[in-house]
Amino acid sequence: MAIPANQITNVNPSPLNRLESAYLPEIFKGFGTTMRHFFTSFGQGPTSRTMQYPEERRENLPVEEGGINASNFRGVHRLNRDEDGRVRCVACMMCPTICPARCIHIEAAEAPWDDREKYPKKFEIDELRCIFCGMCEEACPVDAIELTTEYDIVGLSRQEMVFDKEKLLHIHDLTIGKKPM
Amino acid sequence: MSSPTPTITINGVRRPFSPGQTILQVANAAGVEVPQYCYHDGLSVVASCRICLCEVWSPNPRTGALEPFMGGKLVPSCQQTASDGMVVHTDSPKAVANQKAVMEYLLINHPLDCPVCDQSGECFLQDYSYQYGRGVSRFQEEKVKQPKKDLGNHVLLYSDRCIMCTRCVRFTREVTGTGELMVMGRGNKEEIDVFPGIPINNELSGNVIDLCPVGALLDKDFLFQQRVWYLKETPSIDPITASGDNIWIHHNEGKIHRVKPRENPRVNKWWITDEVRYGWKFVHSADRLGAPARKQYGYPAQSDFPRAYEIAVAGLRRAVEDGGRVALLASPMIACEEAYLLAQVVREIDREAVLAVGPVPVKGSDRVYPPGASEDDPRAFKVHAEKAPNARGVRRVLEALAGPGQVLDFEAFLRAMGKGTGSSGVRAALVTGNYPSAWTTPELLGCLGGKFIVAIDTLAGPHVDAADISLPAATFAEKSGTFENARGMIQSFERALTAFEGARPEGQIAFDLLHLIACGGEYERAGATRPEVYDAADIRSRMAAEHETLGVFASAVGHPAPRPQARPDMRLVEI
Repeated sequence: MAIPANQITNVNPSPLNRLESAYLPEIFKGFGTTMRHFFTSFGQGPTSRTMQYPEERRENLPVEEGGINASNFRGVHRLNRDEDGRVRCVACMMCPTICPARCIHIEAAEAPWDDREKYPKKFEIDELRCIFCGMCEEACPVDAIELTTEYDIVGLSRQEMVFDKEKLLHIHDLTIGKKPM
Repeated sequence: MSSPTPTITINGVRRPFSPGQTILQVANAAGVEVPQYCYHDGLSVVASCRICLCEVWSPNPRTGALEPFMGGKLVPSCQQTASDGMVVHTDSPKAVANQKAVMEYLLINHPLDCPVCDQSGECFLQDYSYQYGRGVSRFQEEKVKQPKKDLGNHVLLYSDRCIMCTRCVRFTREVTGTGELMVMGRGNKEEIDVFPGIPINNELSGNVIDLCPVGALLDKDFLFQQRVWYLKETPSIDPITASGDNIWIHHNEGKIHRVKPRENPRVNKWWITDEVRYGWKFVHSADRLGAPARKQYGYPAQSDFPRAYEIAVAGLRRAVEDGGRVALLASPMIACEEAYLLAQVVREIDREAVLAVGPVPVKGSDRVYPPGASEDDPRAFKVHAEKAPNARGVRRVLEALAGPGQVLDFEAFLRAMGKGTGSSGVRAALVTGNYPSAWTTPELLGCLGGKFIVAIDTLAGPHVDAADISLPAATFAEKSGTFENARGMIQSFERALTAFEGARPEGQIAFDLLHLIACGGEYERAGATRPEVYDAADIRSRMAAEHETLGVFASAVGHPAPRPQARPDMRLVEI
């Protein structure tokens, strides 16, 4: 679609004066800004934007200064527990269905409890394949899977980065204080 | 004013019909969607779910002017026979109000457990709730909770999900004639149950699971295995009995998860037996052969295909050079095309090879459901005692090659192999299996002794251990082909899975052997060219072209019906 004429503004730069057309003064003016930042941000200078990770961490900063908003930050997953400490998940397979990275693998089985039909016998998330989009959290009908504020997960092998049910429940125990359900 | 072919108008479109059809049947045939729970083509009409009610106008026989039918009451379209000139509305405000009301009524006591219900994804209650129901529930009171019941070996009933369409009850009364299921109680206490101490264990019990439009009747075998939207479906043919029942193989990621009946009014109608429904387990058996083996120092040792083929061809040839005959025992479990190719292999080596059909297992006698019905009854369902899908097809193909009457049955084959006499002209045999369970008899093993044996089979067994060469084959789900059923109908099936790792379809093995024979029996010399790739449709047309008696494979093969076009389940929304 063509842009209407009334929305077009013609910008005509004014011609360069004699000093500007001498080239070098303008160059140094431009470098001036660079050099000012270079010297004032040196080390922990006043204009420094560097975060001193890991001494300084995002969760300790206000959101305006790059901190984490715990309610919507998308870090590593956890599997929530219900009031009795059992896994909340009912193995409905909504999260592996919606998962665009196909990183969730669930094996369902009949629940050992009377008040529930189905539970996950096996629940694995491949954290290396995961793209942390948070769709699993959106899809979950029982608020069982949630993304936490933890982002510094490490492992020595690929296999170690496939988190199983016990590990995900353990993350719940560790993070429930920081991010209530 | 009546036209030569009677017509009714459904939602503004004129549809021709044959007299006797109900409004719902006309609509279903025309592809007009009318919601329906209790109606099923194979069962009697009870008009109990009330969701198919529609507004009907019919012409006054005297004046010809349209008048509200039945005084303007909504009419159950499943029960009302169509008459010429009727005008039916399934989307009028009155009909839509009824659909909404029925949906709300059915959902009053229906638990909201779709996330854990195995039916979700193929549930009519879900679909219609989405299309015809309202978005929120007005029901404030406590829902009635009903128990979960174990009805039989295969069937589980979640009573509180039931909508009392009574399809299952009618099935056990009308189709199997066994009548295990009944309706118990009245009103909101109404539930389906079996009579005390009499579980639903008839041969067709699995069909009530398919009939259930909601998640009330579930399959114990499939329970919690997969969500149905992961499953892919492939049309296939019953691989273990002679009935040739049409089935869908539902599979995901290379594994079969269940088998469902495929509607075919000429063969199995809408049903299959439990034997067929749960008979696919051997496909994923732990005993599947995964590599060729050759006999070394009296014991089978793992080998590879090129070497095994070479030894097989050399051994078969040596038998002929020594003045003996070569025999083929073509199992009735393999496809017609494969029997044709295997017969060509042995006839390539020995022009007068002995061709025989493998043992045809028979279990009990033929049964017809409902008991006492005649076989010609359109509602009758026959269970065949013969437990092999293709005994007739294999014989037909072999006879086309060897001449009528020249194909031996299993007993004659054993005699030809020297049973009783101990002497035989046959020096080498190609034996195929592909049976779902152990099939060899001591007599067969005795006859095979002392001869050069090439065994092509899917499952391990004594004959595989005894064979000089064993080649791993593919089951019905891993190849395409045709089976001829007990009534002489030839039906094709499609490949659902990739072949088990290390195994090849018998047809492919036959092609590989033919290629090797054509190349002089040496794999090194054959290296530059490649064997043909087994494709059942190609071989069918080749069979029909090469042998006049096999013309049926070009003209009379029943193929799976083309799949109906999938309708999008969401309307396009203008943004």
